[in-house]
Parts: sequence; C-alpha cells; structure tokens
Amino acid sequence: MASFDVMPDVQLYQPVELDDALSLAERYGDGGWVLGGGQDTYGWLKDRAKHPQAMIDLSGVESLHGIRETDDGIEIGAMTTLREIIRDERVNRDYSLLAQAAGRVASPQIRNAGTLGGNLAQDTRCWYYRRGLACYRAGGNLCYADGPESMNREHAVFDASRCVAVSPSDTATAMVALEATMVVASASGERSISAEDFFVGPDTHITQMTTMDPGEILTAVRIPAKWAGKRFYFEKVADRDVWDFALVSIAVAMSMDGDSIAESRFVCGGVSCTPHRLTNIESAVRGKTLSEESAESVAALASAGAVPLNYNHFKLPLMENLVRRAMRG
Amino acid sequence: MEFATYKNDVWGREVIRGVSWDLLWLVIVAAFIAIVLHAIYESMQKRGDNPSSEGERVTRHDKIDRAYHWVMAASVIALLITGVFPIIGIEFAWLELHWIAGIALTAAVVFHIIRSMFFKKDTGMKISASDLKEPFDNTAKPGKYSAAQKGMHAAVTVLTLLVIGSGILMFMEIDTPWWERTNAMAESTLGVVFFIHGITTLALIGVICLHIYFALRPEKLFYTRSMIKGWISRDELNANHDPQRWSPDETS
Repeated sequence: MASFDVMPDVQLYQPVELDDALSLAERYGDGGWVLGGGQDTYGWLKDRAKHPQAMIDLSGVESLHGIRETDDGIEIGAMTTLREIIRDERVNRDYSLLAQAAGRVASPQIRNAGTLGGNLAQDTRCWYYRRGLACYRAGGNLCYADGPESMNREHAVFDASRCVAVSPSDTATAMVALEATMVVASASGERSISAEDFFVGPDTHITQMTTMDPGEILTAVRIPAKWAGKRFYFEKVADRDVWDFALVSIAVAMSMDGDSIAESRFVCGGVSCTPHRLTNIESAVRGKTLSEESAESVAALASAGAVPLNYNHFKLPLMENLVRRAMRG
Repeated sequence: MEFATYKNDVWGREVIRGVSWDLLWLVIVAAFIAIVLHAIYESMQKRGDNPSSEGERVTRHDKIDRAYHWVMAASVIALLITGVFPIIGIEFAWLELHWIAGIALTAAVVFHIIRSMFFKKDTGMKISASDLKEPFDNTAKPGKYSAAQKGMHAAVTVLTLLVIGSGILMFMEIDTPWWERTNAMAESTLGVVFFIHGITTLALIGVICLHIYFALRPEKLFYTRSMIKGWISRDELNANHDPQRWSPDETS
C-alpha cells in the first residue's frame, strides 16, 4: 500500500458554529469526514485508504470545547482535548477513572492534540482493515484477521461476528463504566445515547464502530453524578507503556457500602468490538469485600464465554488477572 | 447500473466481490410492472363466474405436502428478511437467524426431494410436450398442474438449489457451534459464490412476487385454499382441469 507524506486533495471546511458543521455533515453525508484532533484521520488519508470529499474541522466550534457542570454531573464537549480532561480538577476529584483512562491514551503529544470525541469515535486498529483490504468491515466478504496464518493477537475474544476487530478506545471503557450518555447531533435534531448503546458490534453494524450515521456529529458526553467520587480502578496492558493500544484494559467503578461492594461496573477494553461489560463479575462481587479471597473467587468468570483466535489466548488470563487486581483493594 | 461488484484481493488483483444490490430495486420494479400489466390484461378478458366451491370435494394436496409448502414459505421469507433487510439499511443481528432459517429450508427441500423421488408415484410436475400447447390453446386443460405452475416449480427448484448450494459454501466460511471457519477459500472463488447466492436471491424475489400475486388472484384463490385446506370442489376441478389427465380421489 502506498503511503504519502502529503495529504490528498480534499476540501477543508472550518466552521465556527455547530449549525454550520451539521449542515455540512448533512450535505456531504458519506463523503464528509468529521475532524476532531486528527489523530485517527491523517493516517487514513495519507495511506489513501479512505477518500473523503470534504473534511469538516470542528476545532473552531467553541461550543464543543470545555467541561461544564450540569444538574446531574458534568458535560464534556467532544472537542475537549484529552490533556484538558486529565488536568481538570472536577474530573480528577469526581471521575478519576476517566482521568486515568485518558492519561493512558497514546503519548503526551497525542493527548495534547487528541480530543475526547475523536478518541471515542475512532476506527478500529485491525491492520488488515487499515491496510485498505476489502474485508467485511470495508464492505467486502471475508475477514483477513481470522485465518490459519492470520496475525490476530490484538483481536477479539468476545462477540465476533465475521469481523474480529476490537475497539481501540481507552476512554470508551471508562464511559461505559461511568454510565455516560453520548449527545449526538444532526441537522434534524439531537439524540442522547447511553455509552453502552453508542458502541456497536459487527453483528449489527459491521462497517461502523458506533451507532452514529453519516451526517451526525458527537457533540458532548454527559457523565451522571451517580458515580461521582466512587471507588475506581483502571489498568491498561499494552506492549509499550506509551503510544500503544490496549491488549486488554479494565475500567471499574464500585459503589461501596462500608467494606462491601453495593454496586459495580466492570468493563474490559481490547477484547471485543465494543467495550465489554463483565456482568457476571458485577453480579458475583455484589456484597463482597475487596480482598485477595474475593479476587480469587470471581476472577475466572472474566473469561467465561470467550472464543480466542489462534494468537490471542493470552487475553483470557490477562482479563482474569486484571479483575484480580481490581478486586484486591 | 452494474451487474456485479469487484474488489482487489490481497495480492492487488481485481476479483468479483458479489452481486450489485442495486439490482434489487430493478427486480422489484420489474416484478411490479409485470404484475400490473398482467392485471390489466386479465381485467380486459371476459370471464364467466368462478366455479362453485360447494358440493363434492376432491383432494388436491396431502397434509404432508401442505406442511412442506408452508415450512418452505416461512423459511424463505425468514431468509429474505434476514438477508435483504440489512442490505437496505434495516440493521439487526441477522447472521444466526439467517443460517438457522437456511438449515430449515435445506432440511425441508431434502425431505421434499426424497419424498418426491422415492415415495410418490407421480408428482404431476413433470413437464411434457402437451403442457407446451396450453398457453396457445384456450380449450386445452391441464392435468394436476398447469404449464405455468410447472414452470414456476421448475424455476423455484433451480433457484432454490443454487441458493442452498452457494449458501452451504458460505456457511462453511463463518463460525458456527459445530466448526470454526477456515477462511481457506480463494477470494475469487468466494466472490463467485457470493455472486451466485446474490443473483439467485434476486431472481427468487422476482419469482416469489409473481407467485404471491397469482396465489391472490380471484380466479386462482381456490388453489391457495387447497394449499391451506387440501381440497378443491368437483366444479373447480371440472372447470380448470382435464379429468383424463388428473382424476383425484374424493375427500371427506
């Protein structure tokens, strides 16, 4: 595949009002590319693997920036950079899970430029797909990552349906754990989608990572007060400490009643095309204390039902160990 | 409008990817036009009253054949909904439902073939020279099935066998409870299989549209009733069939 130092010829729009951005997104539909921080964009374009007619740069739309308090928690504009989130006092005080997750995204340079919206809506990193091969996800009729000689150590162990790609977003797991709501706007209005429903798997939407259709823009993320100040755990395992995607990650939010867990949300990244909730763990830990004993009693449930590929069996004990570590306290 | 879609394989060679689904709308429009033209033509024909459904009844379809027909109809409709709806933008988790319906259809067709070949003396579906005269001779009456019905059966047979055959090859290329996919089929071969599955699906959609239309026409409704209840009246038999070519048993 050819890769170029220069960008292809593409029309660039830099609206300053959201309404203008939405009407551009509607006008171009499939041919429009919504640009956040550009960290998932320029590779696609320089590799000539995607060919949008127009880029709609949202960086000038002021209303999409910043972190605001709401009646029920906080609202983070989709164009807020990861660095701003990491350094925000309210986020660190009440939702440190998100700050930790954002702090493990890629590298400091990328976190300076990358936005929350871009991190959540980014495309999968399956290299067969990103190389431009006509796989299922690209509208083709086979998966190159699931064959006898395919290199698939980073791919899915849950919920694969023809395509075995995984969600690469670190902040997505935190958003599902925090029961966040995504605000998606289009020229015809606005809709709110729970984080769990925002990310979609290949069984229903094989060419999309999110439920957003062409013409729609993620404008904000609302995090409810329900989990503010609760106990959190985030850990990401990758081949490198910086500038790498998760092999497996875990985001956990726990509401404690004394020493016992009253309610919890365990979410794994890197194991499925969507953030993967460990609902069996959530049920099993209810009423348990954080201890080595509790950790041992539930850890094996983490990988129940997993279907590993040729080269990613290691993800199963990795998931179990991450649950153990989250439960040790 | 293209007939097929193409892609580059892993080596950069252009190979067929499958049928062009733009043809779906062409098939639907063509079937609609054919139905409208036929309806206009029929409305201009002078016909007497339909024969009475009262009186003596004769058996047209055994219970087992009716059950087969409706199992096949249900599985084909399930296959079309699960296969075509996602293509036209109605997204849902369709794949498992699709292959389960495919297994039901395959089992029904295998059952029908075995029963027709080994357990029935005469299915009445064999196309003979005399059938070919029917469309050109108003006085000629058919045996159990008319030339049009036999033609429809032959078309559905060929298309169903092709869609099942290609479907089985595609089934081997996905993970199921019984095996894991190998992804071993050459991309060009896979594209041909997808093309055959798609083009036969499109043809089946056209044929099914016509089949449903004819099943609902007023003068043919007694055939539809017979596919539900099993019988037609002696009057309907005499008016539409040649007793020399088909003499069914009386039913209770």
